[in-house]
Amino acid sequence: MKHRYFAIIGTVGLAAALLLTACQGKSGANAKSSADTTWSRMEKDVITTMDPSLITDSVSGQAAADTYEGLYRYYGAELEPGVAKSVVKPTQNGTVYTFKLRNSKWSNGDPVTAKDFVFAWRRTVDPATKSQYAYLYTGIKNADQIMAGKKKADTLGVKALDDHTFQVTLEHAIPYFGTMMVSNAFYPENQKVVDQAGKKFGTQSKYLVFNGPYKLTKWNGTGNSWTEVKNPDYWNAKDIHVNKINVQVVKDASTAMNLFQAGKLDDAQLDGDQAAQAKSQKDYKGMKQSRTTYLEFNQKKIPAFRNTKLRQAVSLAIDRQEFVKKVLDDGSISTDTVTSSGLAKDPTTGKDFTKSLTASTAQYTAFNLAKAKKLWQEGLQETGQKSLDITLLSDDTSAAKRSAEYFQNALGELPGLKISVQPVPFKTRIARSMAGNFDMVISGWGADFPDPISFLDLFTTDNTYNFGHYSNKQYDALIAASKTTDATNETKRWTDLRQAQELLTKEEGIVPVYQMVQSHLVNPKMQGMTYSPNNLYNFIGAKIK
Amino acid sequence: MVKYVLKRIGYLLLTLFIVASITFFLMKLLPGTPFNNPKIPAAQIAILRKQYGLDLPVWQQYLNYMVGIAHGDFGESYQFAGQTVSYLISTRIGPSLQLGVQAMIIGTLLGILLGAIAAIRKNTWVDATATIFAIIGRSIPNFVFAALLQFWLAYKWRLFPIALWDGFSSSILPTLALAMAPLANTARFMRTEMVDVLSSDYIELAKSKGESQWQVVAKHAMRNSMIPIVTIIGPMAVDLMLGSLVVENVFAIPGIGQQFVQSITTNDYPVIMGLTMLYSVMLTVVILIVDILYGFIDPRIRLSGEGN
Repeated sequence: MKHRYFAIIGTVGLAAALLLTACQGKSGANAKSSADTTWSRMEKDVITTMDPSLITDSVSGQAAADTYEGLYRYYGAELEPGVAKSVVKPTQNGTVYTFKLRNSKWSNGDPVTAKDFVFAWRRTVDPATKSQYAYLYTGIKNADQIMAGKKKADTLGVKALDDHTFQVTLEHAIPYFGTMMVSNAFYPENQKVVDQAGKKFGTQSKYLVFNGPYKLTKWNGTGNSWTEVKNPDYWNAKDIHVNKINVQVVKDASTAMNLFQAGKLDDAQLDGDQAAQAKSQKDYKGMKQSRTTYLEFNQKKIPAFRNTKLRQAVSLAIDRQEFVKKVLDDGSISTDTVTSSGLAKDPTTGKDFTKSLTASTAQYTAFNLAKAKKLWQEGLQETGQKSLDITLLSDDTSAAKRSAEYFQNALGELPGLKISVQPVPFKTRIARSMAGNFDMVISGWGADFPDPISFLDLFTTDNTYNFGHYSNKQYDALIAASKTTDATNETKRWTDLRQAQELLTKEEGIVPVYQMVQSHLVNPKMQGMTYSPNNLYNFIGAKIK
Repeated sequence: MVKYVLKRIGYLLLTLFIVASITFFLMKLLPGTPFNNPKIPAAQIAILRKQYGLDLPVWQQYLNYMVGIAHGDFGESYQFAGQTVSYLISTRIGPSLQLGVQAMIIGTLLGILLGAIAAIRKNTWVDATATIFAIIGRSIPNFVFAALLQFWLAYKWRLFPIALWDGFSSSILPTLALAMAPLANTARFMRTEMVDVLSSDYIELAKSKGESQWQVVAKHAMRNSMIPIVTIIGPMAVDLMLGSLVVENVFAIPGIGQQFVQSITTNDYPVIMGLTMLYSVMLTVVILIVDILYGFIDPRIRLSGEGN
């Protein structure tokens, strides 16, 4: 009987030992051989859908950009023709776009025709499709009425003049219409495949066809990994040198870093401590995001904030350099403007929009506590206030909480300003911002399409997202002019936008603080991979040396 | 016995009905909507709500929900367009189940062993070491443990894959990380129970009959000490099998754990309901099984209703 007891211990011990030795040697760095043209990258989340009409998140957006092709495509910051033969100039006062399409194929052999665009666009605006990004169609003839259910989807201002000519009619000129054509909401769709798959369209690789540089495989619709393989039928297949892209979902930054160091990932996306740690490494790459974080004052609830001097004082009391370095320390950069840098080139100056501003915006954002205190006191006198006691609303992520505490301290230097911090979940922050239930809030905005108007539009008096109710007639007039009278005049339009941005920074209608930068470690063997203003990679032309 | 089981199944269905109802109304109290993107215009949100039937009166939504659930139809996820809840769960529960079962087996076996040894060697250095080990297992959060295992065993010493789900070897570290809690729990229970049992009369009797200490332990003490452990094993197993957000994130496991959290933060009502019901079904069924098992393990426990 004695032996039985030992036998139990022995078995368990043996089992444990077996477990421990089971699969040694499988790991270890896998150095790339020169012939290997497989790229392993990661995402922080899963693909939620591959139905171009329904995609709203960046993970699905990246997979869609790799496997589908719209009229245009971004190569870095350059807008280049995709299915369209060239980047077209509109006619009829900027309201009619006639795209000539090149000969190209779907992965099932069907030709990509103008009908595929007509079908896809009508499908996207049709309320029955439940597209969340259908609002991007506003401005295309009848789009708003179709979305509201007042007109049929086939009344949308799109036409297939023949198989290779696609025409779009707008209700008014949209100067940035071209930049929207890279977005998945405007991709073509193969009607045969959509009809066949029915409700299953976009839910698994087997229900999809592709017309882009890669084909999506091994995607079961909910899984943490998928593979993109070169599409030999892509019209520009000769420029695809990376034959396979393996994608893994890795949520934990420290795991991502370990996987990169062990050679299991060629491109790891990091945040927090890992980003701070990676910044000094030679493989570090910061990808500027078209996303800005700013402080927004509720000028309706706290009328004192209608005073420009008080807002300017807040801006000057924040040391943005110190803030991004010491508080965020994740590669993010300070900003003087709400429009993010690297978003759009100003065609009239040839420089980035944020670098094209004539009046110096820096003087309204450069840290200057003495000046801030002086302006603050003047502002208080002008508004007849002795002190201000306000609550700063923020998200409840650790970075957001640290940010809020920093602002609480920095702004506490202003005489008579008392700030308490209130971190809430994202959903609650948005809901309270929309309801106007806040004093001051740390807000953020990401561009929908690479044009400054995607940011500047927000702060016009009647905009729904102008949560703080900043209002300036001159600003409104400039934005309105850029969309109407000056819409088709490039020089005038960009001058309007520049002046509007300068005015917004000078007045500190909102206080811009930083632009988000996504930190990556990237295998240096990769060459020619580009990153676009819509925050997506482009692998066409890229090579693994 | 049959009557008892049938009665219990009746209660089980009632419990599930109540859980489903409470969950439904709690979900309605969640702030936000499934359309949390602040950029969607209000008019379009209204259209989307209509398309999803969220504009109906609450009682009607409740009825639709309950009828669907009764037919086993949990609807489609809001996060994953066109994906049914049952498909989402079925494709992601595999790794969580596997890890849960493995962790349960390792954890309870080692826990029982550790607890028994501690009890036998009560108040010696062996006992103290085992107790310290159990306390560490209880108090170190599993994400710390997971990160340590990953760093040392996988990254530094390269014994195991760092992360990702690729064959049995990739399941070992997450299993160990998950096994710590059941190990510590079981060890604690086992020790307490075994100390009690070892000082009871029938053990004295066995000893006085001249049985060796090992015989006493193996034949009498172990079996009787394990009864309370059966009680905690059930709920512990269900917890483990439905995934751990933290361990799944650290080891990049394509499991169901993260969906528990994500479905709530994104107001994905059908997924919240599907997962809650799955959890409830598993828990109630396991409790039922445990109750039935009691009768077999310990003849002293009589099932109520039996023998009538």
